[in-house]
Parts: sequence; C-alpha cells; structure tokens
Amino acid sequence: MRPLSALTALCGLFLSTSSFVCADSTSSSSPVALPSDFKPAQVFKNINLVRNTNLEKSYLRETINVVVENVAKQAQSDYYLALPSDLYDKVGVLEVRDKSAPEKGRLNVQATEIDPSRDLQYYIVHFSEPLAPSSQIILGISYSVLNSFSPRPAAIKQMDRQYLTYSFSAYAPSAYTTVTQKTKLKLPSTNVPEYTTTDLKSGADPERLGTSYTYGPYDTAQVAPGTSYPIVVRYEFTKPVITASLLERDLEVSHWGGNLATEERYWLRNNGSELLDHFSRVEWTLSSYQQLPSSSIRELKYPLKPGSVDPYFIDDIGNVSTSRYRPGTVPSRDASLELRPRFPIFGGWNYSFRVGWNNDLSTFLRRAVGSSDSYVLKVPFIEGPKASEGVQYEKVVVRVILPEGARNVRWEMLDKASSNGLPSSSQIQAEVSEHRTFMDTLGRTALSLTVVGLTDEARDSQIVVTYDYSLWDGLRKPVTITAGLFTVFVAAWAVGNLDVSIKKR
Amino acid sequence: MSLNQVWEAASASPYSPLIAKDSQFFVGFSLLLAAFILTGLFGLNRSFTSIALFGVPASLAFGFGAVYMICAVGVYV
Repeated sequence: MRPLSALTALCGLFLSTSSFVCADSTSSSSPVALPSDFKPAQVFKNINLVRNTNLEKSYLRETINVVVENVAKQAQSDYYLALPSDLYDKVGVLEVRDKSAPEKGRLNVQATEIDPSRDLQYYIVHFSEPLAPSSQIILGISYSVLNSFSPRPAAIKQMDRQYLTYSFSAYAPSAYTTVTQKTKLKLPSTNVPEYTTTDLKSGADPERLGTSYTYGPYDTAQVAPGTSYPIVVRYEFTKPVITASLLERDLEVSHWGGNLATEERYWLRNNGSELLDHFSRVEWTLSSYQQLPSSSIRELKYPLKPGSVDPYFIDDIGNVSTSRYRPGTVPSRDASLELRPRFPIFGGWNYSFRVGWNNDLSTFLRRAVGSSDSYVLKVPFIEGPKASEGVQYEKVVVRVILPEGARNVRWEMLDKASSNGLPSSSQIQAEVSEHRTFMDTLGRTALSLTVVGLTDEARDSQIVVTYDYSLWDGLRKPVTITAGLFTVFVAAWAVGNLDVSIKKR
Repeated sequence: MSLNQVWEAASASPYSPLIAKDSQFFVGFSLLLAAFILTGLFGLNRSFTSIALFGVPASLAFGFGAVYMICAVGVYV
C-alpha cells in the first residue's frame, strides 16, 4: 500500500500546483450612510428638466434630461439625485451620463442607505471634474424600476382586458429647485380610461397626442424641492407582466470539446391581474383560435446566436415537447427557439424551467496576442426571451465556468455610448469560486456575477473575460485518468508477483 | 489596455480545439478500443516489460479516449 499512497500523494502535489485563482474585479461599493435629517445643500439649480416616462413595457423606464447649474461660490462635484422612497428599492439599473461629453461614458453613481423616515432617498452622482460656479452641465439620467405598476382591477375574467395603474408625482423628485420641468408619458395603447388632470398650468394638462401624454411644462421656480403632486394613470395592457424572480445563467467553456454550453434556469411569474374564476379550457381554446390578446404568457420567443445547436427545454416534470427550434445560418441569421410552457401562465401563476444549448467555442474564444497561455472570451451577458412587453429580472446570477486550472480571471462589461440598460461594475457583485462537475480533480474556476434588478434591455450586452490557462492545466484531466489506470496495471503486476503458494520454502 | 482591446487585438487567432467536434466520437472510440486491446495483451503476460510495452500506451489511450468520449456524448468537460 505504501508505494500506492506515495504515488497518490505525488499526483495530488502535481495536480494542486497552479490552482491559485485570483480576480481583480471583486468589487461592490457599499451604500453611504446619511443622517436621518439629511437635506442636500442648495448648491445646484435645475434650469430645465424633461422627464420621459416609458410605460410601454412591463417595467418602468425613465429618462431624465436635466440642465444643472452650480449656484454656489465654490466648484461642486457631487450632485444628489433624489427618488421617492417607494421607488428607490425597486430601481434596477441606474446610469447617469454627461450629455455634453458622451465619450466619457457613465458617471460614477453611489447609492445611499435607505432611511424610512425620509420621503426622498438619494443617489450621489460624482462628476468627472468639479463644476465651476455659474457653469452648467447637462445630465442624462436613465433608470428602470421593477414591479412599479399595479393591475386594476386586481382580478379579471379570463377573456377580459387587463389594466395597469401607475402613480407618480407631476413634479419630478429633486433635491434642488427646478425652474421649468415637464413629463412626457409614453403609453402602450390609446385606451386610457383614467388619468389625472391638473390645473398647474394654463390650458389642458396633460396634452394628449396619440399614446403620448405630456404633463407640463410647469414653472416651478417657487416650488420647494421635494414637493409632490400625485398623478395616477390607468391604461390598458392586455399583455403578460413577465417577471423572473431569479435567472441563473451558466456559460461553460470546454477547451477539450471546443464547446460553449449555455444553460438558463428561470423562475418565472406573471405579475398581471389574477383570474377571477377558475381557468376555463374552452375559453382558452376559443381565444387561442381567434388569436385574441391575452394577459397570460402563451409563448416565449427566444432568439439564439447563429450556430446554436442541441437545444433543450425541460421543467420540473421533464422534457417539454411543445417547443420548436429553427436553426439559423452561420454567420448572419439568428436561430430561434420558440417555447410554449405546459400551461398558459396567468396573473399570479409561476412557472420554472430550464433551457440550454451549445455553440462552437471558436466564435467566442481567442488566444490573446503575446502570450500563448492567455485566452480572451467574449460572450453575451444575458440572452433571454424577446418580447414586446419586456421581461424584468429581479435577480440574475451569471456564472462563467472556465476550464479547470484557469487563473488570473479578469472581466469587463462592454459599455456603449448611449444607455443600454446595463449595470455599472459597482452594481455587480463578482465572485470567483470553484465548481465541481464531471471528470474534475480540482474543480473549475467559476466567475459569478450577481445583479439585482435587470431588464431585457440588457439583452445585447457583452462581457469579456480573460484568463490564463497553460498546457499542463489542459492535460490535467487525461493525465489523472492515465495515472489512475497505470496504477491499476502496476498493482496487477505487483499482486501477480506475490508468492502465495503453500509449498515448503 | 481594456479587455475589449485585448479581444480585438486577438481577432486573428480564434481558438480551435485539437480535435473538431465531428471527430470526437471516432477519436474517443478508437483510443478506448486500443486501450481495451492493450489491456487484454497485458493480461496475457503480467510482467514488468508488459507494463512498459502495453500498460503505458493503454493508460494513455484510456486517459485521452475517455476525455474525448465524454465530450462526444455531449458532456463537454
């Protein structure tokens, strides 16, 4: 036994070399604590504020363009961005850009701790360079808010139309005095049975043009910051409110197989109106036959990268046969995976499932120039179903599973010049861990990226990961198996040589 | 240098595996078959020379063959 254990120990020693994993991007900035009676100093004035509120999707998407002037005597570099308390913890991805210098990318934004005693909560926007007194900057603030609409009525019949309500303030929440402001609402349909009218300006308020409703412009130079004027809009939205309470997405890189395996696990829910009566199969068949709009999730269309193969769609019971796959053509036409859940998902109903597929690794992985052991991987951050009504993700965990022994893992999210619904690196929790699966000795290096509050706007975003992976790391699997079988041969030979005869020596 | 620049710079060297996906089953099966035969030959004469002559090539063939076979059946390791 001793030579065997010595051999095992030697193998272990060899195999455990170069297993050190490090990542330089494990960052997440913690929220800043502010005193409960905190009020930002009035060092800025919003000269003009235009708020674009988009209600076309199942989540709220707001873009605020504001001209900010420094009215203090010193240069200022921190702008407090106020949001109502009820929205603050539902805000998904928030980004602020300097509209006059879009090439500089997004500005650094820091969250603050929630204080329930305050009506407004704050984000701190750090300017790239301090704003001189009396000078102006144009900020483009965009964010999405999850679960911001409530269905009214909360329960409807199966064939009924669905209505959502959205409440907000006619005055945009702000920490500073705003001179003029207006809010443009973009609704999904012209069927708007209820909306608040105001007398805050002369003439009709809101002004209606098709599906656009404009509140303002208001002269609010004399209105104290933080004043609110409640507005409620109730509009038709006979589409599902698709919400994924959790999405786990695994991207598994295999150098031996030359394959990128993707698997996504969804915990889906429809946040629309619940059913008033029992589900009726007859009504459902009728409405499907007539292709009437429905508030249920009937089908999910899933565009995949060209060259995707071996798709599967399974849920807790097993394979779901009601899916269709149309392979695309490399390199131009996307493949399409059409999934029909086992049952239509009405308001308040849940459905969890997993889908997966394979791709050739050569499209996604390259050898870095200058080093034979360095690799660079570029993969989509999230894919997910494409739906006109949008999909909101409450929590997304993307795991990039690299081969065994990969180290010096670095990652970067690709940003665009305009808003793309992507979180900034401070909003992503990154962690490098080990993932053990088939034929592993040490476990694979897995980079996990966790984002809370994401929308399908980030569908086209890409992530770049670089890592070092030597030839020896690659040979670890076959060498381990080879060593195992070789040990069996040696043992067979050694046992065969033992003299176990009972003759007299 | 941002990581995207690293990606762009490496455009001329996409990764290609040693054995293409389509040949994995053939290579894996051949190596496993060779390992099986060599193991049989070792079994006929379990001497020290047989370890060098049949044991070592059989172990190597089994090690690489197992990796390619598991890839060929869809478990990409």
